[in-house]
Amino acid sequence: MTAVEENELLRLLVSSVKDYAIIMLDPEGRVLTWSPAAERLKGYKESEIIGQHFSRFYPKEDIEKGKIERELKVATEEGRYEDEGWRVRKDGTKFWANVILTALRDSEGRLRGFGKVTRDLSERKRAEEQMHRQAQEILEMATVPVVQVWDSILLVPLIGTLDSKRTEQLMERLLQKITDTGSQLACVDITGVPTIDTQTAQHLVETISAVRLLGAEVILTGVRPTIAQTLVHLGINLSNVLTCSSLKAGLRLAFQKIDVQVDAKSGR
Amino acid sequence: MAESDISVFLVRGVLMVSMPADPDDPTVAMLQEKVLGEMEAHEAKGLILDLSKVETFDSFFARTVTETANMISLMGGKTVIAGMRPAVAITATQLGLNLSAAYTALDVDRALAITQAWH
Repeated sequence: MTAVEENELLRLLVSSVKDYAIIMLDPEGRVLTWSPAAERLKGYKESEIIGQHFSRFYPKEDIEKGKIERELKVATEEGRYEDEGWRVRKDGTKFWANVILTALRDSEGRLRGFGKVTRDLSERKRAEEQMHRQAQEILEMATVPVVQVWDSILLVPLIGTLDSKRTEQLMERLLQKITDTGSQLACVDITGVPTIDTQTAQHLVETISAVRLLGAEVILTGVRPTIAQTLVHLGINLSNVLTCSSLKAGLRLAFQKIDVQVDAKSGR
Repeated sequence: MAESDISVFLVRGVLMVSMPADPDDPTVAMLQEKVLGEMEAHEAKGLILDLSKVETFDSFFARTVTETANMISLMGGKTVIAGMRPAVAITATQLGLNLSAAYTALDVDRALAITQAWH
């Protein structure tokens, strides 16, 4: 294969590859060559981008932070620079890109420019963000589950240790859900809470007061003997809070309060 | 805010007031005067204070609401706070708002139901 043929094939390779935008920059970072994939990805035509500095592909914040210079410096010194981040198209829209800058040196070691391979990873980024969001939602739901069990009765089954962050979330979610659903009663069940300390107890009391301000009421259920002992020893005053030893008793009380009678069809 | 911007009206023997989104101190103070005056004039059974529009709640407002509820109670009436928003309820709790003299309701409709049970 002659050098001309080889050149031709290389040119074909660069212009035919669809998933990667392969371009070349001069040592200062100006665009030397362009490709159809690059045009598709970034929106610039070959005629308008050749000779322009590649910093126009970057968001303004990155330019201000000196990212461009840093990238060129690393690529020059180490021969290679890889990055994932936001890039800007001609129309101003952003895409999430994986970029590899490679220093191109001739046989004498002189820097002739950089090869720049860019891949659009927006799809993957979106999928990742969605997965992250879903995981977050599941986590939040598991941290403070608020379920509507009847017209105007909410149930909050708390399981595991309550730290202040969780009780804070509990307050926000419960209050929001009460307003959203117009529920008058909320059974906060602490059967699955192993221990309680002064701070969390105080948070619970605050939550109960806030719920009352909205015009609803909390029934604290699942107050086991050890929890009852702790609460009294800590001097937490729950005298004007409705409390029950079991969720069953709490639900019965809730039904009474909204004048609902639940009867078994036969037997007791 | 002009005095006419807050109206106190009598519904089924109960006074009703709806607070604006961001009441300033004079408005809040004016509210108390006006409500107590109307209590006397109509011999009302009590007051429904609708806070569903209120977005900011400061210590002066909190104190005035508590005081007004106590004053109404001294005049033989009862107070229902209606429609408080979650964010306001959180602030009010942190401010240590003591509403033992008042009833609370999720909205004005339920507040009215509470007042209708009074004799």
